[in-house]
Amino acid sequence: MTELILQALFSGVLIGSVYALVALGLALAFGAMRIINLAHGELVLLAAYMAYLVESRTGLEPYAAIPLALAVVSAVSIALFMLVNMIRDHRELNSLILTFAIGIILTNAILLAFASDMRTTTSAFLQDAVSFGDVYAMRGEIIAFALSLVLMGLLWWWLKASWYGRAVRAVSSNRGAAMLMGINPTRIETVSFLVAGALASFAGVALYTMSVVQPAVGHALTVKAFIITVLAGVGSIPGVFLGAVLLGVTEALTVTLASSALQELAGMVLFLMVLFLMPNGLFGARARRG
Amino acid sequence: MSDTASSRLLSGRSLAMAGGLVVVGLLPLAAGASPYMLGLLISSLILAGLGLSWALLGNLGGMVSFGHAAFFGVGSYASALLAAKLGVPVLLAIPLAGGVATLSSLAMLPALRLSGPYFALAILAYAQIFRILATEASWLTGGAAGLQRFPGLPTVFGFNFAERHGSYVLVLGMVVLCALIYVVIRRSYVGIALRAIAESEDATRVVGVNSTLLKTWMLMLSAFIAGMFGALNAHIIGFLEPDYAFSGIWSVMPIIGAVFGGYRSVIGPVFGAVVIYMFDQVIAKSLIPVGHQILLGIVLAGMVLLAPNGLAGLVGRIFSRTGGKHHARA
Repeated sequence: MTELILQALFSGVLIGSVYALVALGLALAFGAMRIINLAHGELVLLAAYMAYLVESRTGLEPYAAIPLALAVVSAVSIALFMLVNMIRDHRELNSLILTFAIGIILTNAILLAFASDMRTTTSAFLQDAVSFGDVYAMRGEIIAFALSLVLMGLLWWWLKASWYGRAVRAVSSNRGAAMLMGINPTRIETVSFLVAGALASFAGVALYTMSVVQPAVGHALTVKAFIITVLAGVGSIPGVFLGAVLLGVTEALTVTLASSALQELAGMVLFLMVLFLMPNGLFGARARRG
Repeated sequence: MSDTASSRLLSGRSLAMAGGLVVVGLLPLAAGASPYMLGLLISSLILAGLGLSWALLGNLGGMVSFGHAAFFGVGSYASALLAAKLGVPVLLAIPLAGGVATLSSLAMLPALRLSGPYFALAILAYAQIFRILATEASWLTGGAAGLQRFPGLPTVFGFNFAERHGSYVLVLGMVVLCALIYVVIRRSYVGIALRAIAESEDATRVVGVNSTLLKTWMLMLSAFIAGMFGALNAHIIGFLEPDYAFSGIWSVMPIIGAVFGGYRSVIGPVFGAVVIYMFDQVIAKSLIPVGHQILLGIVLAGMVLLAPNGLAGLVGRIFSRTGGKHHARA
């Protein structure tokens, strides 16, 4: 039993790192424009299907699809940004409905292009088991975990040290003041959506190598990413990582100790508990009340 | 309430609108629509009722819900179980089911403190939780296998509601009734206060309006209406399973319909739901058998971008341009 729990904790941390990438993309777009992109999970899904496309057509390893995924997902992300930018009235409400509609379009476009079958990598290299004492993982999971950590580090550095990263933070903390300092907010928002798209590309390809994907996964990922931002607040990268790992571990433990049917329930209950009991998130984010 | 007050609330114009709805609604019967067509129209009217309840919360309460399936599913199970296990007459079980859905909405009261996306996603979480609970509580609901043995709509005074024409008239009547309730509330003090809250919640609280209480009422009423239409649908379909009763369809279709028709008007969500559902079932499905919802997504995105007030807003704009008086109402 102890080994099972250890294994669940371990698997939960591994999948949690990819959830963190998804959630960081959502948080970046939210920080820049104060809108929740309800199609963000579909961007990740799109990248996962690019990996499937490349692997099934060329026989290359799924990670060879990264350039294609980056190109396609970034293009869609920018198109999405331009559409959201066209909204004039009732921005908060209408942007929710618009991104939700784009999510429906993307899910069904993927359904039309790739059918509803579940897909995962066929790479023997990625599916090989690796053991760490009593716990096991697929090599793909370890690579995805390492990749996530590296990307989070890069993102942290970018936000902290680069001009664009600092401008992103400036716009998200005070748009007006940032404009007065000579920052063009629209340009910065475009960059935020580009980076969010890039994170989604890596997350999608990683997800394909360690888990199964099907069109309905996109919506579920959006919800998970949103849950994580509620757990962590949108303030900090380590917070998002911890929130994501908490969600991954909760899900994995539920599957191990109860049943896989309850996996989604566990995430939702965790979400509502934090929302109601700790309205500022586990790590003290900014207020989310109207 | 005095006569003058009630006549102000239910003006001739809104009664004319209700009458118009009934007349237009009865046209398919007069034209001798096929049972298949009537079946589609019944489903579209169920969605119209659900759309009204969504728009009531979205327009008057200022809250976008992505989880109206929660109330719809609770209502459908409550009514089926009340009728099957306790022998409650179906026509009584339907409003009772609305009451059960209202009770379930009380569990969501803490979510009312949340703004925008947080509220929308919290309601979505409830819908998921209710679906999983309905699957797990198999001693009561029959679990994933579903619920089949429960009474259909009855025959009252020789009028058979179980038959297509009867069901259609009943659902149409319910939609018109709910539309009138919506109109009355919108014109009342409560409606004025809610519109003020939508403009500025803080300012409204300062002048002594209990905004949380008003929002609570809107949530409860919205749940009641959604629950009743869930119940109606259950007795008409005669079969329930958690994945159907709590399906995302019941959350998504009312939004698309209401946005298409114009969720800031009363007639918009009704008209929008009927048009969108018929478009989806008759046109989209024949064009793209699997994945036909992509067309709905395109319609939804297009409407938000090009006509955020829906068809009702477009029509209003045309009338005001041609010199007619148009009062924009929130």
